[in-house]
Amino acid sequence: MSLFGYLRSTILSKVVMAITGAVLVLYVIVHTAGNMLIFIGKDSLNSYSAFLHSLGPILWIIRAVLILSAILHIITSIKLKFENLAAKPSKYAVKNYLKAKLSSRTMIWTGIMILSFVVYHLLHFTFRTTNPQHYYPEFYQPHNAVSSIIIERFDVYRMVVLGFQNPLISIVYIVGVILVGFHLDHAIQSMFQTLGYNQKHYFPTIQKCSTTLAIIIVLCLVSIPISVLLGFIGGEI
Amino acid sequence: MILDGKVPTGPITEKWDKHRFEMKLVSPANKRKYKIIIVGTGLAGASAAASLAELGYQVEVFTYHDSPRRAHSIAAQGGINAAKNYPNDGDSIWRLFYDTVKGGDFRARESNVYRLAQVSNNIIDQCVAQGVPFAREYSGYLANRSFGGAQLSRTFYARGQTGQQLLLGAYSAMMRQVGLNKIVLHTKTEMLDLIVINGIARGVVTRNLLTGKIESYVADAVVLATGGYSNVFYLSTNAQACNVTATYRAYKRGAFFANPCFTQIHPTCIPQSGEHQSKLTLMSESLRNDGRVWVPKNPGDKRKPTEIPEEDRDYYLERMYPSYGNLAPRDIASRAAKRVCDEGRGVGPTGNGVYLDFSDAIKRLGKKVIEERYGNLFEMYERITGDNPYETPMMIYPAPHYTMGGLWVDYNLMSNIPGLHVIGEANFSDHGANRLGASALMQGLADGYFILPYTIGHYFATTKLEKVTTDHPEVKKCVQEVQERIKKLMSINGKKTPTQFHRELGKIMWNYCGMSRNEEGLKKALELVPKLRDEFWSNLTIVGEEGDLNIVLEKALRVADFLEFAELMLWDALERNESCGGHFREEHQYPDGEAKRDDENFCHVAAWEYTGIGNKPIRHVEPLVFEYVPLTVRSYK
Amino acid sequence: MKLTLHIWRQKNTNAKGHFETYIMDNVIEDMSFLEMLDVLNERLILEGKEPVAFDHDCREGICGACSLTINGIPHGPEKGTTTCQLHMRKFKDGDEIWIEPFRARAFPVIKDLIVDRSAFDRIIQAGGFISVNTGQAPEANSILVPKKNADTAMDAAQCIGCGACVAACPNGAAMLFVAAKVSHFAYLPQGQPERKLRVLKMVEQMQKDGFGNCSNYYECEAACPKQISVKFIALMNRDYLKASFSDEKSELIRNQLA
Repeated sequence: MSLFGYLRSTILSKVVMAITGAVLVLYVIVHTAGNMLIFIGKDSLNSYSAFLHSLGPILWIIRAVLILSAILHIITSIKLKFENLAAKPSKYAVKNYLKAKLSSRTMIWTGIMILSFVVYHLLHFTFRTTNPQHYYPEFYQPHNAVSSIIIERFDVYRMVVLGFQNPLISIVYIVGVILVGFHLDHAIQSMFQTLGYNQKHYFPTIQKCSTTLAIIIVLCLVSIPISVLLGFIGGEI
Repeated sequence: MILDGKVPTGPITEKWDKHRFEMKLVSPANKRKYKIIIVGTGLAGASAAASLAELGYQVEVFTYHDSPRRAHSIAAQGGINAAKNYPNDGDSIWRLFYDTVKGGDFRARESNVYRLAQVSNNIIDQCVAQGVPFAREYSGYLANRSFGGAQLSRTFYARGQTGQQLLLGAYSAMMRQVGLNKIVLHTKTEMLDLIVINGIARGVVTRNLLTGKIESYVADAVVLATGGYSNVFYLSTNAQACNVTATYRAYKRGAFFANPCFTQIHPTCIPQSGEHQSKLTLMSESLRNDGRVWVPKNPGDKRKPTEIPEEDRDYYLERMYPSYGNLAPRDIASRAAKRVCDEGRGVGPTGNGVYLDFSDAIKRLGKKVIEERYGNLFEMYERITGDNPYETPMMIYPAPHYTMGGLWVDYNLMSNIPGLHVIGEANFSDHGANRLGASALMQGLADGYFILPYTIGHYFATTKLEKVTTDHPEVKKCVQEVQERIKKLMSINGKKTPTQFHRELGKIMWNYCGMSRNEEGLKKALELVPKLRDEFWSNLTIVGEEGDLNIVLEKALRVADFLEFAELMLWDALERNESCGGHFREEHQYPDGEAKRDDENFCHVAAWEYTGIGNKPIRHVEPLVFEYVPLTVRSYK
Repeated sequence: MKLTLHIWRQKNTNAKGHFETYIMDNVIEDMSFLEMLDVLNERLILEGKEPVAFDHDCREGICGACSLTINGIPHGPEKGTTTCQLHMRKFKDGDEIWIEPFRARAFPVIKDLIVDRSAFDRIIQAGGFISVNTGQAPEANSILVPKKNADTAMDAAQCIGCGACVAACPNGAAMLFVAAKVSHFAYLPQGQPERKLRVLKMVEQMQKDGFGNCSNYYECEAACPKQISVKFIALMNRDYLKASFSDEKSELIRNQLA
């Protein structure tokens, strides 16, 4: 069976969606937690960033897993969507949904918008091509250093603050993050269902947790641009 | 003519074993040379199709449904009997046999009934192996419950959907053979005639309900498993499409129709609410295990049931039949309901209803237990009537439900036309004049799984069959007759719909040949039915085309046959000048209103031979001998 | 009651369908939905027009024949109820009702409101059975089934094969139907020997018949007249995953290549 052989099976396709989705969700959780360091201060955030960069090959392995997951997630979802559209060629003149939430019915659209958002996000913060003027090095002396070594590292804090001080960029991020939350609301519990974990005594809890987690992630991530715009963060720059 | 049931000799307990040994076998290599047509995919048809295909025969199956799983066996709620004696309450094959003969009011063939009781246990084994999810005890063993007409618990059940689960078992066994290419399945195909060549049944003429195409199929044997004819009453618990056409057409081709007047009226159905009503809904008889049946003591008591005090209620079944009480057999419970309603004590808007009250059971067992036992039935009742049976008593009234009569068959389940086998409700065999609860499923599966597969082999092994194709002149003639019948119907261009005629026929039959019958009424009906039939053939309207899916034409073809069949039923009811089981002649009753049998003159099967439309058919007789269950007055007091 | 009905009329599979509007006076609330259509059909026949073709039979909610989408909901607004058991007291005077067939690629319209659901039979044919011949069965009580499992098996087995799940699913998926049969046998000891092969074969047939994929909308569960739970889909997913890495799967591939 080739790498994409699973696409021939409806259930295996769903399993791949669930597993790659799980990887991406875990990444979003870690990423969110990391980003929260911004509220502790410039030093924490920049050290965290420097730590990540110091991982070297491990960082590349993580990136590889993430990229692979994202690619499989996207390819599979597109294939599933086309099949689904074909399987329901004529629609009802009147349609009343009984149980399907808006978030579940818009997965492909929120997914496509999230993809564009992520591309922008990478261009903005990772490749730094959209706003190169926000890129500054920081010269930093570790507290516990014996000698007075000065290290040059990337000033993430300054970049984030400068970026979000532009209201347009902040709005893009706020909207993007809300879309992620919307996607996750359906996605997290869906993972459990697809992988076969649904019993009456715990599944309602999973569904609630799914929504709650999505809301927490949105609140955390949205709080950053809002704090910058309101001047709670980055006033010193 | 005195008919011969071909019952094997010897003691009753050994007849079937002996017969199985004596029957000729067809070798496995030869089985695949024989082709069998099966019409109908209910319990009997599906189980026979699966079993015969497993044996190696070529099987071709026909159903007018879009899927074999929709046959009306699916609607049986209560359960299936077997003589397993798991509850250790004294059951045995002998007792099941005895109860069934007695329950049938001594109008069934003893040897058939004994065989039925014998194979009942194999049926349960087979169904469990197929994965039928019967109710279980906590220990994991099978659970049993009691059912109307029995004093012990011998009924196996799967919630209130036993028929569904058994049918799905037989259906899946059949579909497995379809997948193995052992069975050719024709859905949406209705049998419209039987092909008889040189006195032997060799095939069927069908109409494809989607395209209207008339086709013919030939085979070495034909099996009819086409159910009963309760819809002759228009309103019954049967499904809308249930009809008499297959068996009636076989009758017109020479098969004898036995005991057509033996119809069962089920005591626990939801009363009719208006003229628009298309069917009556059955509430499982199991409800009578915990529900108490009553009416107000005084005629015209218009109080709400919950406001009528205990002393003003008449729990008439408990009063009249103390040992069986609310579990009295179906015919007895039905007639008792009719009697109290005729006295003006009936309840509900039409006055044709009695209460079935669960308040005592709820007090005794708690609402939760009742909900567990009957939850789905209570919900169904509430959906249909808008009343909540946990709070106010249900209203019930008897409705036509099952027909014990059917094509006459011998011990081998073959009719008097060689090659024509009839199984399940479509034959007359095992229930006599009244069927006990949870016995229909048993009989359908017994015929299909364990009896026909043996006897049909014997037929092949002992009969020399000429080669026949659909080009045979008799086949062509039969096809042509069907086409002409359809052309004739299409060209009437009158003013009334098939449903209007059906409804009128139903009224005549219910009023004069329903729960109770008398000579005067039957004679009147014998005048009314031919008149209605004449009107049908001169004033019917059909829209649409014959070469298309045409629901009006489908219905018209069925009603046309009901209009002829009804007359046969009336003749049988008139000539059977006694009361027995479901056939209650008002002239023959004991002072307390119980049915009075006439064993001297009517201890026999009446099998009718067709003599032409409107002519009185010829009545043949198969005497019934009761060697093992002595003829007694059937008392449930 | 007076009602306005918009009913889908379609001459045959290849014809283009359209809505036709009918005004119904004097609808009685004790009527079932199908009885109301009976009244309409009687009227149409007497006017010399073709009646509305719709599937129906037992009219007590068990045969699974009836298949109308009423105001965008398969079997209409009442929970856990087939069309035939839906009564007019659920509607009120002046209501407008849209009546459409069950829609999905795998269920082509035959005429008006009748659709072809033979795909379900093909799925059962592919593996929805226990391969036991008549006569092979052991004594019934030699197979013990814990009550809990028997009850759960029954929860799944009560599927009536109506296809409301497919009709309700925005993807036209048949996962609930297939899962119900797979789970019915998965919960019983009798079903174990063929458990893996069954799920592989039934899912494969389901795909061949052109049903869509599951997006976990749970519309199927909500529309199911027997309220069969989507937890059975979860069970089927797990069984399928296990079966995909089993000897049975290798054997199936070998057989297909051969």
